[in-house]
Amino acid sequence: MSGLTLDGVTFRYPATERPALREVSLEVAAGEVVALVGAAGAGASTLLLVAADLAPRVVGGTLTGRVQRPGRAGLVLPTPWTQVSGMAFTVWDEVAFGPANLGWPREEIVRHVEPALAQLGIAHLAPRDPATLSGGELQRVVIAGIVAMDPTLLLLDEPAAELDPEGARLVWRLVRALAARGKAVVVATSDLDAVPDVADRVVWLAEGRVAAAGPPAVLAEEATCAAGLGTAVAGVWRAAGLPPPYPLTVADAVRAWR
Amino acid sequence: MAVTAAALRFAGVSFAYGATPALAGVSFALAPGERAALLGRNGAGKSTLVKLVTGLLRPREGSVWVGDWDTRDRAPEELARRVGSVFQHADQQLFARTVAEDVAFGPRALGAAPADVERRVARALDALALGAYAASHPYDLSPALRKIAALAGALALEPAVLVLDEPTAGLDRSWRARVTRALAERAAEGAAVLAVTHDLEFAAETCDRGLVLDRGRLACDEPLAGLLADAPRLEPLGLVPPPLAALSAALELPGRPVRARDVAHALRFARGGAPR
Amino acid sequence: MRRRHPFTLLALAGALPALAWILPAPAGGMATAAAALGLALLPAAGGGATVARAAVLTAAPFWAFLLLLHDAATALAIGLRLTTMVASVVWVVAALPPARLVEALVARGWSARAAYVFAATLAAVPVLRARARRIVEAQRCRGLSPRGGLVRRLRALRALALPLVLSALHEVDERALALETRGLASGARRTALAPPADPPAERALRWGLAALCAAALVWRLA
Repeated sequence: MSGLTLDGVTFRYPATERPALREVSLEVAAGEVVALVGAAGAGASTLLLVAADLAPRVVGGTLTGRVQRPGRAGLVLPTPWTQVSGMAFTVWDEVAFGPANLGWPREEIVRHVEPALAQLGIAHLAPRDPATLSGGELQRVVIAGIVAMDPTLLLLDEPAAELDPEGARLVWRLVRALAARGKAVVVATSDLDAVPDVADRVVWLAEGRVAAAGPPAVLAEEATCAAGLGTAVAGVWRAAGLPPPYPLTVADAVRAWR
Repeated sequence: MAVTAAALRFAGVSFAYGATPALAGVSFALAPGERAALLGRNGAGKSTLVKLVTGLLRPREGSVWVGDWDTRDRAPEELARRVGSVFQHADQQLFARTVAEDVAFGPRALGAAPADVERRVARALDALALGAYAASHPYDLSPALRKIAALAGALALEPAVLVLDEPTAGLDRSWRARVTRALAERAAEGAAVLAVTHDLEFAAETCDRGLVLDRGRLACDEPLAGLLADAPRLEPLGLVPPPLAALSAALELPGRPVRARDVAHALRFARGGAPR
Repeated sequence: MRRRHPFTLLALAGALPALAWILPAPAGGMATAAAALGLALLPAAGGGATVARAAVLTAAPFWAFLLLLHDAATALAIGLRLTTMVASVVWVVAALPPARLVEALVARGWSARAAYVFAATLAAVPVLRARARRIVEAQRCRGLSPRGGLVRRLRALRALALPLVLSALHEVDERALALETRGLASGARRTALAPPADPPAERALRWGLAALCAAALVWRLA
């Protein structure tokens, strides 16, 4: 069962000649985590907008190709303070904002909000006013709000950007847990070293095109390392002049060393 | 190190927001040219510390010295002569028609002569390889790049102390490397650098000293390299060794290097390759 | 007062200026202006020193212009009415949490989107205020001095106002996207999470205020 299918998608923002996405084909199955990597402006955020049915519907622009999305999609953007509804007294209400908009009965909302708060480790923040939270705490609230809507497809744009290392680890663990529960997850991230433990597949976007796709080992290939997109360990192995295959993680490196 | 020679000094500083304590008894000193990373969990007090350096907040107890200036006696706009700062939301502070004009704002506000302003702007843009964007409108840039433009603005002040709050958030490797290089250049010229960051890889590449805040107290103040390889000490502070430090420790590389170039060198050398 | 139903607060904020314009000047204007400023000042009514100050500072420029353009009596009459209006608006923005307004509107059957647009105008104020403060801090740390002569201050204003407007505008796009993704356009009827209580006494009060305005109008026209 597929959570998302993109078939030869080319997308141009309004009034721009250069396409932001060129002939992108991607399939994400339920229970799979796909990481999008690439230089800034390579098209990862745009791809997520297309997958979320926000481009071209809300953003404008022209799209050719096929997009299939059987269920509901949830999108998390990198800046938490623009995603907060601005209308909730408490964190609990903020997380319940989405489900309430969907018109769910109160018992069902509670059944989704409480676990979402627990999963993001913010149950203790439930009575707080969102305006008093730090950027990291707020990002967790936003993610909880999307998770509480029970989407089949979860799209995350740099979800750990505002978080401290502990918060980031929590989010990556959550991504895996959500995939284990059958959700299709697509994550755009610049934290390449977190990718091997989180993603089942990696898609490298360069100038709107898919430059490479495959298992996380893609981040230890010559081409990706040469482009500055390899993991730190792979990069340093290559810089040391040691022969390929380059190790992806510290554990791989220790094995290769012996 | 003589007390008056410190570029930045915190002496027993405590601060609280109303009844909520934020910092307690923080003391440390940065010499000119030193680069320190300020680490710690969210909520540990890092942003508060940054505001104390810039004079936006005044310590409840203790004192903050920028060179021989006590921050309690100076307004933030005065301290701007010695402190260049970039805050977390710096991407929202840009307003000029072009990036170059915005970078020029600081030096002009300080009263520098037009020729001097031009020189400073050119140097700052050059240091961060922003030349291509000099004539662009700030809002044509992504938020991450706007933050780099704000950093250029701080560099253009040519301050004795640079204090940065999450300078590399949202940046890819090549931009992070540029920031590292720019800070290294300024430090070599005598600026003291204090970088608040969650990016331990960036901290390892850029800074020599590590200051770790834990619930408002300074838990660690020591050379960064040794600290980053020490997982058992980092864990209770909410930190994890970055990959290269972990690699260095796992392979028991001599000297436990943490910077990419040094680790590559050590690997090559350990494998019997000719040292570069 | 914060616990009163949002519609009651809105009714008050609407009735006072209406009465100010209907009732004969200057007595009518004086009474309503005093009532509005009273609401703005009393913490029990959701106001306070900052709210009252904001009301006075916002109304002050109008007085200046009126005194320039009109004779004392006309200026007083119009000024008191404007003050009532300004103070009522400032008070209701401070005393009415947008979340409660949305809940109240939704409980009455408004679509979530319409309710949000209505409430967002109120919600924007504290967000912009917080951002303005951050921008002032950042520019001060770049050497911008809030003191100085007129030219200096005007230049300073540009460095403060422009980033505020630019970043707020820029953010509108992103906010719209974020809200879309939170189901605001789903078309389903939003579940009211905590609809504010609407006791009959308050409903009666609202109808009473409307009736009072109607009666005053009739009396004035007769």
